[in-house]
Amino acid sequence: MTGADPPEHDPAHCREMFSHLSEYLDRELDEIACRQIERHLRHCDACRACCATLARTVALCQGMPPHAVPGDMAVRLREAIEKLRAGDRPAPAPHSD
Amino acid sequence: MAQPQDSKRRINDKDAPLIEAINAGDTDRFYELVQRYQQPLFNFGLRICGQAADAEDMVQDTFLNVFRYLKTFRFESQFKNWLYRIAMSVCIKRRRRSKYAPERELSLEDFLPGDEQVAAEAPAWAREPLDRLLDEELTRRIEDAILALPETYRPVLVLRDLEGFSTEETAQILNLTPGNVKVRLHRARLFIREQLKEYFAHDRSRPA
Ligand SMILES: [Zn+2]
Repeated sequence: MTGADPPEHDPAHCREMFSHLSEYLDRELDEIACRQIERHLRHCDACRACCATLARTVALCQGMPPHAVPGDMAVRLREAIEKLRAGDRPAPAPHSD
Repeated sequence: MAQPQDSKRRINDKDAPLIEAINAGDTDRFYELVQRYQQPLFNFGLRICGQAADAEDMVQDTFLNVFRYLKTFRFESQFKNWLYRIAMSVCIKRRRRSKYAPERELSLEDFLPGDEQVAAEAPAWAREPLDRLLDEELTRRIEDAILALPETYRPVLVLRDLEGFSTEETAQILNLTPGNVKVRLHRARLFIREQLKEYFAHDRSRPA
């Protein structure tokens, strides 16, 4: 894949593409920028491999299973909130502003 | 300045009726709000600080603050975004009290694809089915990688890629510009990708 390199192959261009790969994956780029990146990816092995592994990294993060809440957290939470509520209640006097 | 509050607010916020009921005096229903968010908030805390005890403290402080300030919530954003804003400020306060890993900048240059890694094809781990890939060990590796992210980057990645907030929402929660969120997210992802590359190159013994 050497020979008559299209202009996409120069490192400055690679760098420019590379800095927008996340936006590209998140579909946050306009159509023109998207097409530019896609054209570059077709010609540049390094950026294509990078894009694939980056996409996979994002997918793995998104697929992370959630942790279970500690069993007694809710009890402790309720205690703390009740304490606050008790402090908030200024005796049973009705507030009459 | 009499704003038609009602037309502006409730941007499709599913929590609005519940919050209105609580603010109207039905404070018992606060526990419904707790029920709704304790799990995601605990997870968020765990991703940010790594320890279950710290995460629980964060969840508790957050809900206590929500209880105190719920009356001031104006429905100018989603309640959930407001909640995470509070959670973040709780995290930041707690962090100041403890010694954390030094902050450092992740530079794009560190992650630029070099000539040496030019392969005709993406590596196997980029092609294998996700569910076969994401086993317990890899999950732990990713969690460690996230915790190894400098503080500037970690919340951005967690909010965007694990909690599913949009760029705009993340910006709002973290008091950043959307542009800033994008820059940090990209570097954070590249950082995680480096860790994964290493893992798949050296530690993952079994073949694909
Ligand atoms: Zn390139």
